[in-house]
Formats: sequence, structure tokens, C-alpha cells
Amino acid sequence: MVSPRTIRNLKREWRNNWLAKIGVALVVAILLVAVFAPLLAPYNPRSQSLEDSRLPPMGFTETENSTSSQFVNGSVQVVSERTTVNATWDHPLGTNQLGQDMLSRVIYGARTSLLVGALGTLLAMLIGVPIGLVAGYYRGRVDDALMRFADVMLAFPSLVLAVALVGLWQQAVWRIPDPFVAAGLAPSMPPDIVLPGTVIVVVGLVTWVWFARVARGEALSVREEEYVKAARSLGASDAFVIRKHVLPNSVTPILVLGTIQVAAIILLESALSYLGFSGTSLSWGFDINQGRDYLATAWWIATVPGLAIVLAVIGINLVGDWLRDALDPGLGGEGGSGA
Amino acid sequence: MSHSNGVASRQDVLRVRDLSTRFFTDEGQVNAVESVSFDVRDGEILGIVGESGSGKSVTALSLIDLVESPGRVTSGQLWYRNADLAEEFSDAADGEFVDLRALPTRVRRALRGPSFSMVFQDPMSSFNPSIPVGEQIAEAVEVQRRARANPRSTRSRTQGYGLGRYLLDSVVPTLDYTDDESHERAVELLEQVGIPDPEQRAREYPHQFSGGMLQRAMIAQALAGEPDVLIADEPTTALDVTIQAQILNLLRDIQEERDMSVLMITHDLGVIARMCDRVCVMYAGEVVERGTLEDVFDRPTHPYTEGLLGSIPDLDDPAPRLQPIEGNVPSLLDSEMGDRCYFADRCPKAMTECLQHPPEYEAEGSAEHRARCVLADHPYDEREALPPDYFEAGRPAETGPVDGGTDDDRPAEEAQQND
Amino acid sequence: MTDDPLVRVESLQKYYYEQDTFVDRLLGREPQSVKAVDGVSFDIAPGETLGLVGESGCGKSTTGETLLALREATGGHVYFEGEDVFAMGDDDRQRFRRRAQVVFQDPYSSLDPRMTVGDIVAEPLQIHGQSDREGRRERAKELLERVGLSASQVDRYPSEFSGGQRQRVGIARALALEPEFVVLDEPVSALDVSVQAQVLNLLEDLQEEFGLTYLFIAHDLSVVRHICDRVAVMYLGEIVEIGETDDIFEDPQHPYTQALLESVPRAATSEHGRRVDALAGDVPSPRNPPAGCHFHTRCPYAREACREEPPAYDVGRNHEAACFRLDESHAYWESTPIAQNAADSEGADGVGESTGPDESPSEAD
Repeated sequence: MVSPRTIRNLKREWRNNWLAKIGVALVVAILLVAVFAPLLAPYNPRSQSLEDSRLPPMGFTETENSTSSQFVNGSVQVVSERTTVNATWDHPLGTNQLGQDMLSRVIYGARTSLLVGALGTLLAMLIGVPIGLVAGYYRGRVDDALMRFADVMLAFPSLVLAVALVGLWQQAVWRIPDPFVAAGLAPSMPPDIVLPGTVIVVVGLVTWVWFARVARGEALSVREEEYVKAARSLGASDAFVIRKHVLPNSVTPILVLGTIQVAAIILLESALSYLGFSGTSLSWGFDINQGRDYLATAWWIATVPGLAIVLAVIGINLVGDWLRDALDPGLGGEGGSGA
Repeated sequence: MSHSNGVASRQDVLRVRDLSTRFFTDEGQVNAVESVSFDVRDGEILGIVGESGSGKSVTALSLIDLVESPGRVTSGQLWYRNADLAEEFSDAADGEFVDLRALPTRVRRALRGPSFSMVFQDPMSSFNPSIPVGEQIAEAVEVQRRARANPRSTRSRTQGYGLGRYLLDSVVPTLDYTDDESHERAVELLEQVGIPDPEQRAREYPHQFSGGMLQRAMIAQALAGEPDVLIADEPTTALDVTIQAQILNLLRDIQEERDMSVLMITHDLGVIARMCDRVCVMYAGEVVERGTLEDVFDRPTHPYTEGLLGSIPDLDDPAPRLQPIEGNVPSLLDSEMGDRCYFADRCPKAMTECLQHPPEYEAEGSAEHRARCVLADHPYDEREALPPDYFEAGRPAETGPVDGGTDDDRPAEEAQQND
Repeated sequence: MTDDPLVRVESLQKYYYEQDTFVDRLLGREPQSVKAVDGVSFDIAPGETLGLVGESGCGKSTTGETLLALREATGGHVYFEGEDVFAMGDDDRQRFRRRAQVVFQDPYSSLDPRMTVGDIVAEPLQIHGQSDREGRRERAKELLERVGLSASQVDRYPSEFSGGQRQRVGIARALALEPEFVVLDEPVSALDVSVQAQVLNLLEDLQEEFGLTYLFIAHDLSVVRHICDRVAVMYLGEIVEIGETDDIFEDPQHPYTQALLESVPRAATSEHGRRVDALAGDVPSPRNPPAGCHFHTRCPYAREACREEPPAYDVGRNHEAACFRLDESHAYWESTPIAQNAADSEGADGVGESTGPDESPSEAD
């Protein structure tokens, strides 16, 4: 499936493109963090400790004005107190309003974001690619019908559609036992990985159109290749031709789109969580939502997960760009006619 | 045939000496043109014939300095006869001749049009699809007109077309780079190349033209600067045979009318035979044989030329069996070329001495018949013959690189055509 | 040559429709037909090679693909050993697919770049139900050897081969099912002459060895003369002349055939400076072909009668041409000649090959 030339192109692009290296480094780092979250997180991300609430990240000091009423000499007095809250190495990224460790939360949030991104993209691919391939391969009325439907889907702002769908359906949540906890390696950590099932299905449903369009475009061009004609002249069925020729030769742009869609879905999931349509409380978007009320007093509650989203999206997009440049047949890849 | 004799006494307009052009690709250095020498004379049609990857198109692009990265002309001289230039650049001059490669880039660029112009294989991709054909030819006319008014200044040719003018043009569409005079000239040129109803056609867009008509338009554009040398790179390859006949007639007519020199690059030996006075045969980046048409067609000395002629089915006589050249066109990767005769692995008459790269020998026939083959010097000696499986046995890796190589040189080949 | 024909084509038609999209229908536009193949008849005897020549856009490739039922015919019949190909049921159609094969022009686009040549050559076997992978691989090796490649190359990808070698792979694939009939659609046009000669020799050898029947589609007349037993010349979707190769080349009857032969540059010194009386104008657009004889816009002998009705040719094994001039008693001789100028500008108006219907990219050869 992967020809030596493809590998050569990947290597060449790797050599010439330092952005690709940054992207891959970021994505690999986030992946490792997500996988080994129970071992890396210093605290259970859900455990609260109110006396440690709203500690700032390292390097920052926060002053806090608090007023309290006290009984002094039989009368009520309003006492104004000015306290200084210092960051501690116990919570390098600070804590949120519930005293939960931000570092642990960001680490666990990576799991949710990447899983939703990956599973959502996979679902979108599973829906979109076959529809697109069939539309492009058969053209005509099939194509007209499928693509008009896709256009209608595209015309809807995906976030609005997603909100409507999440609102419409029950919040389903999938719980998968965390293998590290089950193996007793991290006994104090949450025992389950909580996956927001509804969100995954919804992001898949609102983004499959992109895959359908790309797959259709590829199928339209691949079906004109003579090797497709050759296979048909041999009596191959349409299903055989699509599976054996059209799909493998459409894979590259679909893959590239896939990486970019993972990033887009992470953003979409964050947006949904931010709006409160989340199935889990361990998500970057959820934390941003939580931090919204404290922007003036504890900016880091929203900013830290926000930065995590930015880094993940940039990293994934850089990888996508690298794949696109390296796999672009226009750069002297396989196929093409002439000479 | 007296035609050829007349040509011999004419003066050279361009002398190419040891021209080498290389492409520096990821796969390695590709020697697309390897130490090529030939002359172009006044008022002749010189043919360069070769198969794909032989370096014929890159040779043409090297002459007018249009080789694109990762390619570069690495050595050689291009002596162009031009008294004015020779006077102005006396350092680079030898009598009336001046070495183009020693001239500043802006001067070379200014020579495209009035000295050299080019007709490409694919007329469809050579015109901008969104501008009327007449307009594009008028632009070429305008460039030449301005160049003549102030020779060899790039500035003068683009004068009045800076950013401000560009912005103005987008607001006020009547302010064209070209004026009425250039337009009239463009229509005139279209008429000269046999386009019916040229006034009307000048206003049409490339997609409204057929392939043959567009090729005529491209020739008109190339004639805009009244060049000394017209380089035609596979001008009829994309055309049908009846249209090809029209275009070949047209090229011959304008060549005779203007007494231009034409450098005709093609893979079609029939086109060469009909059009050319003298011929260079290229193989693997080298000129392997050159001479008059009779020298090359009736007294081929190099086994490659012989093989090429034996490969074409004869329209007037269905020979029972073709005599093809065995094997494949070699890779031009420097690392795989070695120091032997590049044709030795396909040559039916390869001898031990062919493992040394042969020089250019004088060959039987006219005074200018040359061949890069030892057979021009002494006859084939069977006792010296290489064993038939020498190249397969001696270099087990050959099956790989040879196959892969032909693909590797395609980027270079494409680069030539994409211009 | 008295046997029944292996392939018989009767009044084959293939029209494409433009302005036939959803939007066009919404806007109530009439679909416009492009007559790529407009009533073509010929037959091919077992073991012979029939050449189909013509310029780009004349419909020769479409004819080849339509008669193999790769494109749906608009009208007409194709009989393979007397059986109507278009009326075949699934089983018969599958059997026909085994026996009739095709080799395409473009050695780059005709091989799937993501499959090894071994898989490509063995693909027909897989489609036709040979599930034993090892057996398929052995057969692929055998076929590769047969077409002059090495069995050790079975695991390589097409991009590692040169154009000529790829064309050999395409031929090996066509031979995998041991067919009787092969449509060769410009099999050597994309190749360099030295390699072209190798492939032509290979095709001749294979024909002899396996008793193949060829339909050889080409635009290169020298190649056609070399390899074909009989030749049909096409112009704008119709056959204008058909006959034994020697008859066509030595005694062409149709003015178009004559002009075609006249135009070809010969690779000989006697060719030098030869001025060809080139045909005027371009090939008219198949969207709007001229009435009567399609060739009258470019024909040096055109008369009024040529505009009125199309000439026909007899289907048979004789040398036939579709031209009124061959009938000494035809009304043609009484009618007035068409001024060449008028014909010229009319011809030039046709947009020719440049904007062919997008349904038939193969026509842009």
C-alpha cells in the first residue's frame, strides 16, 4: 500500500520541513501524555481540596481581597483582609476553584480530547468516505442526490447543528476501565475513562460531509484512470473496483483531511463542553467553561486548558501539512501521464 | 539535395560548444545534456532528433537560459553572432561572436524575442486561458517594440507597468499595457500564420481555438520579435497528421520568407526528413551523430542512429519484421552512467573498447559528418565483441536502476515542457 | 478468410449528452448530443488484425470501448461468435469478458500505482475466481516472462518501470485469461520509437503463438500498415474507407484517406522539402457535424451534392469507401463544386479536439 516512493517523499519533506518536526514532536508528546495519564498526573484530577483552591501557576502571585463579617465586641464588623496567595511546587499549574490540580486535569483532558478527536474522525470517515466514493464512482443521479444532501449539511454551521443534536438526545456516556488503575499501578486515580458518547456521535455526524466531498472528488478522478477501465473490462464488479482501485488511490487526501479533522473536532468538542454539552467533567473545554466565571480573579483556570488546545491543534495541523506536502502526487509522486 | 550543399557555405549564427546541463535532484545528479556541440547556420533548418529523456528539449532551454531549478547549465559556450553585442561586451567576444553565457542575465533576457524565440509542444498550456489570444500576441509585440526603443534595458520593457499602473488597470480596464499599434501588428501576425478572420480570432480566448489554430497563434507570438533563430520544440507532436502537415508547411514558408534559422526539435524522423537540412541525433544527453540529412539517413554510422531508423515501420513498404533496439533508455543519473559509451549496453556491435567513452570521430560522407562511436574510426571487429550478457552479468544491479531510472528523469523532462 | 467473423459490429452508435446535469434539467435545457460514434459497421475474422485509424476525436477509441461493452452503446449491435454482446446475461457477459480483452494507450494511467505488477497481472485471475494466491503469483511470473520481463520483477511497483515495460505489463494482464480477441487501443502511441518497435514485434509474436484476433486502434499510419491485415479509416464518428491494408495504402479511394497518407512524413531523404497539399481547416466539432458527407468541409472535391445526403459504404470484405465519386452515375457529378474558401472558414469554425465532451477523455488522444 505504501510504495517506496511515498516513503522517499515523506523523508524528503521531513528533512526540508522543520515545522513538521515540531508538529510530530507535539503530537507524540500529547499522545504519550494521554496514554500514560494515570502515571504522569500528580493528583487525582477529580479530588478536591478547598483550602488549596485557586492557587496560581508557578511564577505568579495572586493577591486576594476578602471581606468577612465578624462579631467583635458584640457588634458586627466588616473586616477587609488582603491576603497574598503564593504558587507552590505542589501545583505547578495551579488549581481551580475546587482546589483540583490543573496539571492533572490538563493531562487527563488530553485523553478526552484525543479520543473524541480520533473516534469522531473515524466515525466521520466511516460515514463520509463510502458515500463520497459511491457518489463519485456512479455519478449521475446517485451523485446528485448524495451531494445535494451533503451541501445542505455543509450549509448548517456545524456547531449549531451539534448543539441541536446533543440537546435532542440523551447524554450517553461510555465508561472504559482504566488499565493502569485496574493493574494497580495508579490506585488513587479515577477508575474509569469516561467517553462522551453522544458528543462523539454528533461530531461524527456533523463532519462526515467533508470526507464525502473529498472522497467523491478523488473517486471522480480515479474512475477515469485506465486501470479502472481495465478492471471493468476484465469483468470486475463495481464493489471490487471501488475497494481495490478507487479507495486505495483516494487514501492520501482522505488521510490528510483526517489529521486536520482531528484538530477541528477537538475544537468542536471544546466548544460543546464550553457550552455545557459535555458528557464528562474531564475535558479541556469543560475546564474553560468552569474558568469562565473566574477570568478576573483566577485567569489560569481557563487559560491553561486553552493553551493545551492551541498546542494540540497546532501540532496536529503541522502533521497534516507535512503529510499533505509529502503525499501530494504533484510533487513527483506516482501516477501522472506524459513523458 | 542541392539545398544541403547551399547550406554548407552559409555562416554560423550560433555555435554551441561543450554545453552541459545538469539537474540536481534528490535522487542524484542527472546529466541531461552532456558536452553537446553543434552549429546553427543562417537560414537553415537544423534538426535535433532523439527519444524522450535524450536531452533535446533541455538543450533548447539551455540556449535561451530557461532551464529551471533544480537544473543548471554547468559548462560550455554559446557563441552567438552579433556585432553590436560583441563590441559592447568585448571581454566575452571572439570576433563577431559573443559568448551568451558570459553576458549579464538582463542582456540574455532581452535577447529572447528579437534574437531567439521558442515554440512549444503544447499550445494549450502555453497561452494564458483567461486573456484573449490577440492580446497575448500584442503583449509580445509591445515587449519587442519597447526593447527596440531602448535596447537591452529590462526597465524599458516593463516601463509604465509598475504596481501603480497595475492597480489603475484593475479599476480602469481601458488602460492596457498594449496599444492599438501592437494590436494591429498582432492581427497582422495572425494573418501571416494563416488564421482565417484574424480580426475576430484575435478577440477570442485560447479555449475557442483548436489545437492547430493555437499552434499557429503561438508561432505568430514567436515571430513578434522577428527572431534570428526560432526554436521549435516538438511543434507538431500534439497535432493530428493533417494539421501537422499544415503547420510544417507554415514553418517552412516563414523560414524561407524571412530567411530565419530554425532549430527543429522532434522525436519524429519523418518530420526531420521533410524539414531539416542538417541533423543532430541525441542519445542520453549527447549528440551521438550529426551531419547533413543524407549523412545521417543514408550513411548512419552510429548503431543508435541505425537502430532508430530500423525501428520505424515504413509507410510505403510493410517490412516483415522491425529491427528494434533492445533494452531501455538509460537513466541519466551521474552515479549510474559510468565512463563507457552510453549506448554500449544496447548496442549490437559493442566491443571492449566501448567501455571507454568514445570521442567524436569524423565519419564517412560530407565534411561535417561526425559520430561519437569508434565504428566511425575503424570497422567492427568480432573478436573484440563484448559477450551479449556482459551488462547483465557484470552489473547485477542494472535491472533495478535502469528500470527506475527512466522514471527518475521524468521530472527533468517535465520541467522542460512546463515552460 | 471465408470463416464466419469472430466479431461483427453493426451500425454501432455511441452518443454523449451534454447539458444533462441536475441543474441543466432544473433550468429546462435540452440535452445536446455529441455523436462520438455514428453508425459504424465492420467485421473481424478470427486471427486477423483490423486497424482502426483516424485523427483525435474521430471516435476510434470510443468504438473500441463500446464494442467491448465498457460504455453503453446508444444503438447498434456487436456479435461475438454470433452472439449479441449487448443482450448477454450476467454469466454470458462474464464469459465474454474472459475472451475479449483490452490494452490501453497510456502505460502510466493503465496500471494502478499502488499495486505490484504481480498483483496487476494476476488481477484478472482473481476477478474470475482463482482464489489460490500462490497459483496466481506463479501465473503472473510466467506471463511476465512471456512478455519479455523478468519473473523476479513480480513484486515491483509500476513506477519502477519505464513506459515500454509498463506497456508489457498491460499486455501480460490482457493475456492472463487466455483471450481470443484483444482490442489494442493505441498501444504504442505513448512509446519512443525504439521501444515501440519492440512492443510491435511482441504483439506480432503473441498473435502467432496464441492465435489472437486484434482490433488495432491507432493514429500512426506507418504502424497500422506494418501490423494490420485490414484497415478501417474513421472520420467524425464514421468509417469512410475500409479494405485490405495493401489496397488502402496503395490505392486509397476516399479523399480523406488520400490526404491522410499524403500528410505523413516519411523517414527518408527523399522526403526532404516535399510540400504536402495539406487539408484545409480543422476537424469540425462532433457536437455539430456538417450535414451530408461529414468530410465535405475539408474535401478538395466537395460539391453541392455532398451537403445533401451522406454517402454509405457496403459492409463486406471488399475495399469500400463512402464517397460519391466512386459511383460514376451519381448525381454528384452534375452538381456544382463548393468554393474551397467557404469550406475553409466553415472548417476553421469547428473547435475540433480542444473541447471534447468530458465524458470521453480517451478521445483527447
